[in-house]
Order: sequence, then C-alpha cells, then structure tokens
Amino acid sequence: MKVITLCYRKVIDSSSETLWEKMVFEDSYAEFRMQSQYFDQEKKYQHFGELIQNVPGAERLHFLVSASVTGYITQLNSLIPDVLDNQGRRFLKFHNYRFEIINSSMKDISKHQVAINFFSNKLVWHDTVADQLLISEEIQQDESFQTHLLKLIPFLSIDTLKV
Amino acid sequence: MYQQTDQRMERLGFIKSLLVGAVSAPVVFEACKKDAAAELAEDTASATNTGSGTSTSSCTVAPTETEGPFPTKSPSSYLRSDITDGKTGYAMTAKITIANVNNSCLGLAGALVDIWHCDAEGNYSEYGGTQMQSTNYQSVHFLRGRQVTDTNGLVTFKSIFPGWYQGRATHIHVHIYKADGTSLKVTQIAFPEGSGSAVALVNGYSKGMSGYTYNKSDNVFSDDSTGLQIASVTGSKAEGFELSIRLSVSA
Repeated sequence: MKVITLCYRKVIDSSSETLWEKMVFEDSYAEFRMQSQYFDQEKKYQHFGELIQNVPGAERLHFLVSASVTGYITQLNSLIPDVLDNQGRRFLKFHNYRFEIINSSMKDISKHQVAINFFSNKLVWHDTVADQLLISEEIQQDESFQTHLLKLIPFLSIDTLKV
Repeated sequence: MYQQTDQRMERLGFIKSLLVGAVSAPVVFEACKKDAAAELAEDTASATNTGSGTSTSSCTVAPTETEGPFPTKSPSSYLRSDITDGKTGYAMTAKITIANVNNSCLGLAGALVDIWHCDAEGNYSEYGGTQMQSTNYQSVHFLRGRQVTDTNGLVTFKSIFPGWYQGRATHIHVHIYKADGTSLKVTQIAFPEGSGSAVALVNGYSKGMSGYTYNKSDNVFSDDSTGLQIASVTGSKAEGFELSIRLSVSA
C-alpha cells in the first residue's frame, strides 16, 4: 500500500481573479512593504530578490509576511482550493501550509507574486486509472475505502511517498 | 461565415498549442521543490507566470459545487494586544508611548507599533527547518504583535517577560510606522539591571544568568549612555511585571 501526501502550490499575482486571491495579494503586498523596511533601513533596494541576495536574514520575510494571510487560510476551512476530484468537487484536506514570496517590489505592486504551498493529509494511493490517481483518506470504513479520482494538474505534485 | 469558422479554428489551435506547452513544461514537476535561489531570481518571473494553478487546469473538470465559502477581509494576525499565544513565563504588560519630536513631543496618534521578542528559552517564532507549518496557524507568530496608538500615542501589549540568548541583553524589538505603513523608526527596548530589578528577579528562567550579556556589553545598548532605551519595569513574578517606555519619532 502506498501512502502519499500531495503538495499544491497556489501562485497568486496581479493576474489572480477571485476575491480571495485578490485579498491575499493586496494584504501580503502591504505587509511585505512594511516588513521589508526593517531589512533595508537605508532604502538601498527595491526588489525582494535584491534583499534576499544582499541582506543577511532577509529570507525571514517569507515567515514574517505570512501573518498577513493567516486569516484567509483559516477561511478555507482546511480544504485545498482549486484541486478537484473527477466529479468536480474540492475534497483534499490540508493541515499544513507554507507561504512564500516569489517576487515583489517596494514600488510596483504588479511585480508582487506569492505562493501558498498546501500539504495534504496522508492519502492511500490504491491504483492509477487512466490519467487519474485512485486515492482515499487513510481511514478504512467497513472494509471498503471511500475513494476519489484525481488528475495531477499543474502545480499539484506528490510531496511524500511511503511504500 | 466561413471566415468566422476559420478564425475560430485558428484560435482553437492556438489555445491547444498553449495547453501542450503548459502541460509539458517542467515547472509542473518542479513546483513543490524548495529551490529558493531559483525561485527568487528575478529572471524566473516569466517562467512562473506561465500558469497560476487555476488557469492551466482547463483540461480537467470544472468546479461543480455550491459557491462559497465567501472570503471576508481579514487583518494581519499580528493585530492583537495579547501576543502570548500560550507561551509560558511571567506575565508582562508593555505600555509603549510614541512621542512626536515635531509636535512638542506630544503623543502620536494612529501610528502602527510592531513589537517582537523571544520566549522564556530565548527563541523567536520563525519558520523552522521543516517544510511545513504546525496545525495551529494562530500560534505560529507567537510573541509578535501590532497595535495602533491611541490619542495619547499609547499602545499596550500583554505578553511574558522575555528570556535571553547568547550575546544579547534582555530586549524587545520595536518597529514604528506611520498609519500608511511607512517606517518611522526601528529600535529596541532595554531592561534595567541590578539587585531587585525584574531581570534579576526572573533570573533568566531555567537558564540562569551564567554567560548573560549585560547592557554595558551589549552591542546594541552599550552606546546608550543616557539610558534612553531602558524601560521602567515594575512588579513581581507573582503579580506580573509592567514595562513602560516613551519612544520619540520624527513624524
């Protein structure tokens, strides 16, 4: 029996369209602008990439800015967004996530790009049907499994595997 | 009519070619790798822009479920007065007043004040070595908080008395911003020392004071000869401590 966890990396940037994504985009940008000033008190740099390359400790910005999206993550009710089973329903539960800043700029919000990596709970990978994974939550009920068929869409990957 | 159909076919072909490109792009399989250097390089922006998880999933089923939950505006989780988050230690209330030197040193209203300090063992909240965050999202940013100054320039935080770590005296970090988030001042608050002081009473929690760095040897506080950065700290271990300080900014 293979037990896997999945990771979905949800990228959010200026082209994101849903209300939730827009709120994450705007609030994480505002927080980035505030927090990055601590790492560049002489205002030498504009871009997140420059801070990471030149300022020791600037990688803490991933963690520091993540507080701006905590409330939005909670609003997801532990359900990974966008990832649907073959019946068109969201079903993947997460308890762990990691926020990351991909790019940003102090002066240009359109350069702001973040990602939230959602890590699924443990799943049993029973079989592969056509291009879909046949998976179930680990809990067995009445000797049969409640299964889902899932296609690996872009940005969705198998994170851990236990054979 | 024919022309329209041709145009549609062309468009379909174009969309298909885009899809093939997107699906075969290695970024799909690399997506969850934490190669920070590659991700952070500015020139990768166009590569990661090729698909946000939703827009490239058009070859799978569309969402077919009841709408919701509906998102609501949610402030940063820093915005709270009690920053304890279940951390144990002697209770401490921190009262920080922000004064404006450009306005007769009167209290500055509406400023944002961030504070952060270490726990009783001397550790800060931050991402650890593991890739994942704990299940309790709310406690991830323990001992970090943000408040908005009142009409007198005052903010109040409820926390625990900080521990200490190698090379530093007991301290609290402070970052003061204008209401629009522009930085006004980054500073640190020092604690009074000597017999009967809170630092002496707490005695470094379980660590003791062996190897402790006092203010005069601290690389941040050693040049603070007038004690401007040293707060007033009263109280006891049983009753809890109260810290107060007035910090001046040019706003």
